[in-house]
Amino acid sequence: MPPGSDYNAIMSEASDDLEKVILGYRTVVSYRVRKALGSFTPDWEDVVNEIITQVLEKVRSREFRGESSIGTFIYIITSRRIVDYIRNKTKVLRHAPDPGHVPDPDESLDQKERADLVARLVRQLKPKYRDVLKLYYFKELSREEVARRLGIPASKVSERLHYAQKLLRKKLRS
Amino acid sequence: MQTCFSNDKIDDYLLQRLTEEEARALEEHYFNCPDCFRGLSEREELIAVIKSRGPEIFDEPRASAWTEPSRAEKFLNFFTPRRWVFVSLAIIALIVIVFGVMPRQRPAPPHFVLDGEEVLRGETLTLISPVIDVTEPPPVFEWKTLSDAAEYKVSLYAETLIWSVTTKNNSVALPEEIKVQLTPGQKYSWQVKAFSLQGQLIAISSRLHFQIGPAAQ
Repeated sequence: MPPGSDYNAIMSEASDDLEKVILGYRTVVSYRVRKALGSFTPDWEDVVNEIITQVLEKVRSREFRGESSIGTFIYIITSRRIVDYIRNKTKVLRHAPDPGHVPDPDESLDQKERADLVARLVRQLKPKYRDVLKLYYFKELSREEVARRLGIPASKVSERLHYAQKLLRKKLRS
Repeated sequence: MQTCFSNDKIDDYLLQRLTEEEARALEEHYFNCPDCFRGLSEREELIAVIKSRGPEIFDEPRASAWTEPSRAEKFLNFFTPRRWVFVSLAIIALIVIVFGVMPRQRPAPPHFVLDGEEVLRGETLTLISPVIDVTEPPPVFEWKTLSDAAEYKVSLYAETLIWSVTTKNNSVALPEEIKVQLTPGQKYSWQVKAFSLQGQLIAISSRLHFQIGPAAQ
Protein backbone atom coordinates (compact mmCIF):
# COMPACT_ATOMS: atom_id res chain seq x y z
CA MET A 1 0.00 0.00 0.00
CA PRO A 2 1.59 3.35 -1.01
CA PRO A 3 2.15 5.88 1.75
CA GLY A 4 -0.86 8.04 2.08
CA SER A 5 -3.29 9.41 4.55
CA ASP A 6 -5.10 6.04 4.83
CA TYR A 7 -1.89 4.17 5.51
CA ASN A 8 -0.66 6.74 7.97
CA ALA A 9 -4.04 6.78 9.72
CA ILE A 10 -4.05 3.00 10.02
CA MET A 11 -0.51 2.89 11.33
CA SER A 12 -1.23 5.76 13.68
CA GLU A 13 -4.28 3.98 15.09
CA ALA A 14 -2.35 0.73 15.48
CA SER A 15 0.45 2.63 17.12
CA ASP A 16 -1.96 4.29 19.57
CA ASP A 17 -3.33 0.89 20.56
CA LEU A 18 0.14 -0.48 21.05
CA GLU A 19 1.13 2.53 23.13
CA LYS A 20 -1.80 1.88 25.41
CA VAL A 21 -0.62 -1.71 25.81
CA ILE A 22 2.89 -0.52 26.56
CA LEU A 23 1.68 1.87 29.22
CA GLY A 24 -0.12 -1.08 30.80
CA TYR A 25 3.29 -2.70 31.29
CA ARG A 26 4.28 -0.10 33.87
CA THR A 27 3.34 -2.40 36.76
CA VAL A 28 5.42 -5.36 35.65
CA VAL A 29 8.37 -3.10 34.70
CA SER A 30 8.17 -1.42 38.12
CA TYR A 31 8.19 -4.83 39.79
CA ARG A 32 11.29 -5.91 37.88
CA VAL A 33 13.15 -2.70 38.50
CA ARG A 34 12.34 -2.61 42.23
CA LYS A 35 13.41 -6.23 42.56
CA ALA A 36 16.71 -5.54 40.84
CA LEU A 37 17.56 -2.20 42.43
CA GLY A 38 15.70 -2.48 45.72
CA SER A 39 12.54 -0.66 46.76
CA PHE A 40 14.50 1.87 48.78
CA THR A 41 16.55 3.02 45.80
CA PRO A 42 15.24 6.54 45.23
CA ASP A 43 15.80 6.41 41.47
CA TRP A 44 13.73 3.36 40.71
CA GLU A 45 10.72 5.31 39.51
CA ASP A 46 12.92 7.38 37.21
CA VAL A 47 14.37 4.18 35.78
CA VAL A 48 10.87 2.84 35.11
CA ASN A 49 9.87 6.07 33.36
CA GLU A 50 13.01 5.90 31.23
CA ILE A 51 12.25 2.35 30.21
CA ILE A 52 8.64 3.09 29.22
CA THR A 53 9.75 6.16 27.27
CA GLN A 54 12.45 4.19 25.45
CA VAL A 55 9.97 1.46 24.51
CA LEU A 56 7.49 4.01 23.14
CA GLU A 57 10.21 5.69 21.09
CA LYS A 58 11.33 2.43 19.58
CA VAL A 59 7.76 1.47 18.72
CA ARG A 60 7.11 4.89 17.08
CA SER A 61 10.32 4.65 15.09
CA ARG A 62 9.30 1.18 13.91
CA GLU A 63 12.25 -0.47 15.62
CA PHE A 64 9.78 -2.99 17.05
CA ARG A 65 8.78 -5.08 14.04
CA GLY A 66 6.76 -7.80 15.83
CA GLU A 67 9.50 -10.43 15.56
CA SER A 68 9.02 -11.18 19.25
CA SER A 69 6.09 -10.54 21.54
CA ILE A 70 5.76 -7.04 22.94
CA GLY A 71 6.30 -8.49 26.45
CA THR A 72 9.65 -9.97 25.46
CA PHE A 73 10.63 -6.71 23.75
CA ILE A 74 9.90 -4.70 26.88
CA TYR A 75 11.67 -7.29 29.07
CA ILE A 76 14.87 -7.00 27.02
CA ILE A 77 14.88 -3.20 27.21
CA THR A 78 14.17 -3.36 30.95
CA SER A 79 17.02 -5.82 31.59
CA ARG A 80 19.48 -3.70 29.63
CA ARG A 81 18.47 -0.53 31.41
CA ILE A 82 18.88 -2.20 34.81
CA VAL A 83 22.38 -3.39 33.91
CA ASP A 84 23.29 0.11 32.67
CA TYR A 85 21.99 1.70 35.82
CA ILE A 86 23.93 -0.63 38.09
CA ARG A 87 27.14 -0.08 36.12
CA ASN A 88 26.74 3.70 36.16
CA LYS A 89 25.85 3.82 39.81
CA THR A 90 28.87 1.76 40.71
CA LYS A 91 31.14 4.12 38.76
CA VAL A 92 29.63 7.38 39.95
CA LEU A 93 28.88 6.59 43.53
CA ARG A 94 31.91 4.52 44.41
CA HIS A 95 33.09 7.07 46.91
CA ALA A 96 29.86 8.85 47.61
CA PRO A 97 27.43 7.86 50.29
CA ASP A 98 24.00 6.69 49.25
CA PRO A 99 21.30 9.31 49.78
CA GLY A 100 18.74 8.25 52.36
CA HIS A 101 15.31 7.18 51.18
CA VAL A 102 12.36 9.30 52.22
CA PRO A 103 9.31 7.10 51.99
CA ASP A 104 5.95 8.46 50.92
CA PRO A 105 3.85 8.48 54.10
CA ASP A 106 0.62 7.48 52.31
CA GLU A 107 2.30 4.63 50.52
CA SER A 108 3.85 3.41 53.75
CA LEU A 109 0.49 3.49 55.56
CA ASP A 110 -1.24 1.48 52.84
CA GLN A 111 1.59 -1.01 52.79
CA LYS A 112 1.55 -1.30 56.58
CA GLU A 113 -2.18 -1.93 56.70
CA ARG A 114 -1.90 -4.52 54.01
CA ALA A 115 1.01 -6.20 55.79
CA ASP A 116 -0.98 -6.21 59.05
CA LEU A 117 -3.85 -7.92 57.27
CA VAL A 118 -1.60 -10.56 55.69
CA ALA A 119 0.10 -11.25 59.03
CA ARG A 120 -3.26 -11.65 60.76
CA LEU A 121 -4.53 -14.04 58.09
CA VAL A 122 -1.38 -16.17 58.29
CA ARG A 123 -1.74 -16.42 62.07
CA GLN A 124 -5.31 -17.64 61.61
CA LEU A 125 -4.29 -20.53 59.36
CA LYS A 126 -4.36 -24.09 60.70
CA PRO A 127 -1.05 -25.17 62.28
CA LYS A 128 -0.18 -27.57 59.47
CA TYR A 129 -0.27 -24.73 56.93
CA ARG A 130 1.37 -22.21 59.24
CA ASP A 131 4.21 -24.61 59.93
CA VAL A 132 5.14 -25.10 56.28
CA LEU A 133 5.03 -21.31 55.69
CA LYS A 134 7.26 -20.77 58.70
CA LEU A 135 9.85 -23.40 57.80
CA TYR A 136 9.91 -22.73 54.06
CA TYR A 137 9.69 -18.94 53.86
CA PHE A 138 10.77 -17.70 57.28
CA LYS A 139 13.53 -20.18 58.00
CA GLU A 140 14.22 -20.71 54.26
CA LEU A 141 14.66 -24.47 54.56
CA SER A 142 14.55 -26.57 51.41
CA ARG A 143 11.41 -28.49 50.57
CA GLU A 144 13.13 -31.74 51.50
CA GLU A 145 14.30 -30.38 54.84
CA VAL A 146 10.81 -29.12 55.65
CA ALA A 147 9.45 -32.57 54.76
CA ARG A 148 11.95 -34.25 57.05
CA ARG A 149 11.21 -31.93 59.96
CA LEU A 150 7.48 -32.40 59.68
CA GLY A 151 7.63 -36.11 58.86
CA ILE A 152 5.69 -35.75 55.61
CA PRO A 153 6.54 -36.36 51.93
CA ALA A 154 8.10 -33.47 49.97
CA SER A 155 5.11 -33.45 47.63
CA LYS A 156 2.90 -32.80 50.65
CA VAL A 157 4.99 -29.73 51.48
CA SER A 158 4.34 -28.22 48.03
CA GLU A 159 0.66 -29.14 48.33
CA ARG A 160 0.29 -27.39 51.68
CA LEU A 161 2.20 -24.29 50.52
CA HIS A 162 0.00 -23.99 47.49
CA TYR A 163 -3.20 -24.53 49.47
CA ALA A 164 -2.20 -22.04 52.16
CA GLN A 165 -1.61 -19.38 49.53
CA LYS A 166 -4.87 -20.20 47.83
CA LEU A 167 -6.67 -19.68 51.16
CA LEU A 168 -4.87 -16.40 51.81
CA ARG A 169 -5.54 -15.14 48.30
CA LYS A 170 -9.23 -15.91 48.66
CA LYS A 171 -9.44 -14.04 51.98
CA LEU A 172 -7.45 -11.07 50.69
CA ARG A 173 -9.59 -10.70 47.61
CA SER A 174 -12.78 -10.91 49.62
CA MET B 1 5.12 -18.09 24.69
CA GLN B 2 6.62 -20.50 27.23
CA THR B 3 4.18 -22.49 29.35
CA CYS B 4 3.55 -21.12 32.82
CA PHE B 5 5.95 -22.01 35.61
CA SER B 6 5.02 -24.17 38.56
CA ASN B 7 4.48 -22.73 42.03
CA ASP B 8 7.68 -24.42 43.17
CA LYS B 9 9.68 -22.65 40.44
CA ILE B 10 8.15 -19.29 41.36
CA ASP B 11 9.13 -19.88 45.00
CA ASP B 12 12.66 -20.74 43.93
CA TYR B 13 12.82 -17.51 41.93
CA LEU B 14 11.62 -15.39 44.82
CA LEU B 15 13.98 -17.13 47.24
CA GLN B 16 16.83 -16.67 44.72
CA ARG B 17 17.44 -20.36 44.24
CA LEU B 18 17.34 -20.34 40.42
CA THR B 19 20.33 -20.06 38.11
CA GLU B 20 20.72 -16.82 36.19
CA GLU B 21 19.42 -18.45 33.03
CA GLU B 22 16.38 -19.94 34.76
CA ALA B 23 15.62 -16.59 36.42
CA ARG B 24 15.83 -14.76 33.08
CA ALA B 25 13.46 -17.28 31.49
CA LEU B 26 10.96 -16.85 34.30
CA GLU B 27 11.24 -13.05 34.16
CA GLU B 28 10.67 -12.98 30.42
CA HIS B 29 7.66 -15.22 30.95
CA TYR B 30 5.97 -13.00 33.51
CA PHE B 31 6.47 -10.01 31.20
CA ASN B 32 4.27 -11.94 28.77
CA CYS B 33 1.81 -13.63 31.17
CA PRO B 34 -0.38 -11.37 33.32
CA ASP B 35 -1.72 -14.36 35.32
CA CYS B 36 1.74 -15.53 36.30
CA PHE B 37 2.76 -11.97 37.12
CA ARG B 38 -0.24 -11.58 39.41
CA GLY B 39 0.53 -14.89 41.16
CA LEU B 40 4.15 -13.90 41.51
CA SER B 41 3.29 -10.51 43.03
CA GLU B 42 0.91 -12.05 45.54
CA ARG B 43 3.45 -14.63 46.55
CA GLU B 44 6.16 -12.03 46.91
CA GLU B 45 3.95 -9.97 49.17
CA LEU B 46 3.34 -13.00 51.40
CA ILE B 47 7.02 -13.84 51.61
CA ALA B 48 7.90 -10.21 52.41
CA VAL B 49 5.40 -10.13 55.29
CA ILE B 50 6.57 -13.50 56.65
CA LYS B 51 10.22 -12.46 56.52
CA SER B 52 9.65 -9.09 58.18
CA ARG B 53 7.12 -10.23 60.78
CA GLY B 54 7.99 -13.88 61.29
CA PRO B 55 8.60 -13.81 65.04
CA GLU B 56 5.35 -11.94 65.63
CA ILE B 57 3.30 -14.21 63.34
CA PHE B 58 4.70 -17.51 64.56
CA ASP B 59 4.92 -16.50 68.24
CA GLU B 60 8.40 -17.72 68.76
CA PRO B 61 11.39 -16.01 70.31
CA ARG B 62 14.10 -15.41 67.75
CA ALA B 63 16.61 -17.78 69.39
CA SER B 64 14.37 -20.76 70.08
CA ALA B 65 15.01 -24.06 68.34
CA TRP B 66 12.41 -25.87 66.29
CA THR B 67 11.20 -29.00 68.00
CA GLU B 68 10.84 -32.04 65.81
CA PRO B 69 7.55 -33.81 65.79
CA SER B 70 7.46 -37.03 67.82
CA ARG B 71 7.74 -40.44 66.17
CA ALA B 72 4.03 -40.97 66.60
CA GLU B 73 3.30 -37.64 64.84
CA LYS B 74 5.73 -38.50 62.04
CA PHE B 75 4.12 -41.94 61.72
CA LEU B 76 0.65 -40.42 61.53
CA ASN B 77 1.77 -37.71 59.09
CA PHE B 78 3.34 -40.38 56.87
CA PHE B 79 -0.07 -41.91 56.25
CA THR B 80 -1.90 -39.76 53.73
CA PRO B 81 -5.66 -40.37 53.37
CA ARG B 82 -4.96 -42.55 50.36
CA ARG B 83 -2.53 -44.67 52.33
CA TRP B 84 -4.99 -44.98 55.21
CA VAL B 85 -7.61 -46.30 52.80
CA PHE B 86 -5.13 -48.83 51.41
CA VAL B 87 -4.10 -50.02 54.89
CA SER B 88 -7.76 -50.31 55.99
CA LEU B 89 -8.65 -52.39 52.95
CA ALA B 90 -5.63 -54.64 53.55
CA ILE B 91 -6.68 -55.21 57.19
CA ILE B 92 -10.25 -56.02 56.16
CA ALA B 93 -8.99 -58.48 53.55
CA LEU B 94 -6.75 -60.14 56.16
CA ILE B 95 -9.67 -60.51 58.60
CA VAL B 96 -11.85 -62.05 55.91
CA ILE B 97 -9.12 -64.52 54.98
CA VAL B 98 -8.25 -65.52 58.57
CA PHE B 99 -11.78 -65.87 59.90
CA GLY B 100 -13.72 -66.62 56.75
CA VAL B 101 -11.71 -68.64 54.29
CA MET B 102 -9.13 -70.50 56.38
CA PRO B 103 -11.55 -72.31 58.77
CA ARG B 104 -13.25 -73.94 55.78
CA GLN B 105 -9.99 -75.46 54.75
CA ARG B 106 -9.25 -77.09 58.12
CA PRO B 107 -8.77 -80.85 57.89
CA ALA B 108 -11.47 -83.08 59.38
CA PRO B 109 -10.85 -83.96 63.01
CA PRO B 110 -9.03 -87.28 63.41
CA HIS B 111 -11.13 -90.40 63.87
CA PHE B 112 -9.82 -92.72 66.48
CA VAL B 113 -10.55 -96.43 66.25
CA LEU B 114 -10.08 -98.94 69.05
CA ASP B 115 -8.58 -102.33 68.46
CA GLY B 116 -9.59 -105.37 70.47
CA GLU B 117 -7.22 -104.79 73.40
CA GLU B 118 -7.79 -101.08 74.02
CA VAL B 119 -10.14 -99.68 76.64
CA LEU B 120 -12.37 -96.83 75.51
CA ARG B 121 -12.46 -93.90 77.89
CA GLY B 122 -15.67 -91.97 77.77
CA GLU B 123 -18.94 -93.69 76.99
CA THR B 124 -19.10 -97.17 78.58
CA LEU B 125 -21.25 -100.16 78.00
CA THR B 126 -23.37 -100.87 81.08
CA LEU B 127 -24.20 -104.47 81.86
CA ILE B 128 -27.64 -105.07 83.34
CA SER B 129 -27.93 -108.81 84.08
CA PRO B 130 -26.42 -110.93 85.54
CA VAL B 131 -24.48 -108.51 87.79
CA ILE B 132 -24.53 -110.48 91.08
CA ASP B 133 -24.08 -114.11 92.02
CA VAL B 134 -26.87 -116.33 90.78
CA THR B 135 -28.37 -119.59 91.97
CA GLU B 136 -28.52 -121.10 88.54
CA PRO B 137 -27.00 -120.44 85.13
CA PRO B 138 -28.46 -117.11 83.87
CA PRO B 139 -30.95 -117.65 81.07
CA VAL B 140 -30.36 -114.24 79.51
CA PHE B 141 -27.50 -111.77 79.32
CA GLU B 142 -28.71 -108.17 79.08
CA TRP B 143 -27.00 -104.76 78.74
CA LYS B 144 -27.87 -101.14 78.03
CA THR B 145 -28.19 -100.11 74.41
CA LEU B 146 -25.62 -97.72 72.89
CA SER B 147 -27.03 -95.29 70.34
CA ASP B 148 -24.15 -95.61 67.91
CA ALA B 149 -23.83 -99.37 68.16
CA ALA B 150 -25.06 -101.51 65.33
CA GLU B 151 -23.94 -104.86 66.77
CA TYR B 152 -22.82 -106.33 70.05
CA LYS B 153 -20.51 -109.23 70.80
CA VAL B 154 -21.10 -111.07 74.06
CA SER B 155 -18.32 -113.21 75.53
CA LEU B 156 -18.55 -115.60 78.49
CA TYR B 157 -15.40 -116.65 80.31
CA ALA B 158 -14.41 -119.20 82.92
CA GLU B 159 -10.67 -119.14 83.04
CA THR B 160 -10.77 -118.99 79.27
CA LEU B 161 -13.41 -118.04 76.74
CA ILE B 162 -16.17 -120.60 76.73
CA TRP B 163 -18.81 -118.89 74.55
CA SER B 164 -19.21 -115.86 72.31
CA VAL B 165 -22.05 -114.62 70.14
CA THR B 166 -22.91 -111.52 68.09
CA THR B 167 -26.30 -109.88 68.17
CA LYS B 168 -28.01 -106.69 67.10
CA ASN B 169 -30.18 -106.67 70.24
CA ASN B 170 -29.23 -105.60 73.75
CA SER B 171 -29.80 -109.12 75.17
CA VAL B 172 -29.03 -112.67 74.25
CA ALA B 173 -30.26 -115.99 75.59
CA LEU B 174 -27.73 -118.48 76.88
CA PRO B 175 -27.95 -121.59 74.71
CA GLU B 176 -28.83 -124.88 76.46
CA GLU B 177 -25.64 -126.57 75.38
CA ILE B 178 -23.65 -123.85 77.11
CA LYS B 179 -25.95 -123.77 80.16
CA VAL B 180 -25.26 -127.42 80.97
CA GLN B 181 -21.52 -126.70 80.95
CA LEU B 182 -21.77 -124.14 83.73
CA THR B 183 -20.88 -125.67 87.11
CA PRO B 184 -22.26 -124.43 90.45
CA GLY B 185 -19.61 -122.95 92.71
CA GLN B 186 -17.55 -121.96 89.69
CA LYS B 187 -16.67 -118.30 89.00
CA TYR B 188 -17.47 -116.92 85.58
CA SER B 189 -17.25 -113.53 83.90
CA TRP B 190 -18.87 -111.94 80.89
CA GLN B 191 -18.21 -108.87 78.72
CA VAL B 192 -19.92 -107.05 75.85
CA LYS B 193 -18.28 -105.17 73.00
CA ALA B 194 -20.18 -102.71 70.80
CA PHE B 195 -19.42 -102.22 67.13
CA SER B 196 -20.46 -99.51 64.70
CA LEU B 197 -22.20 -100.01 61.38
CA GLN B 198 -18.78 -100.02 59.71
CA GLY B 199 -17.62 -102.80 62.06
CA GLN B 200 -15.42 -100.61 64.21
CA LEU B 201 -15.20 -101.27 67.95
CA ILE B 202 -16.74 -98.27 69.72
CA ALA B 203 -17.25 -99.46 73.35
CA ILE B 204 -16.30 -102.28 75.71
CA SER B 205 -17.96 -103.03 79.00
CA SER B 206 -16.02 -103.95 82.05
CA ARG B 207 -15.70 -107.68 82.66
CA LEU B 208 -18.39 -108.59 85.19
CA HIS B 209 -17.82 -111.60 87.46
CA PHE B 210 -20.54 -113.82 88.84
CA GLN B 211 -20.72 -117.19 90.56
CA ILE B 212 -23.33 -119.85 90.35
CA GLY B 213 -24.41 -120.83 93.82
CA PRO B 214 -24.24 -124.42 94.97
CA ALA B 215 -27.18 -126.60 93.95
CA ALA B 216 -30.13 -126.65 96.36
CA GLN B 217 -30.25 -129.74 98.28
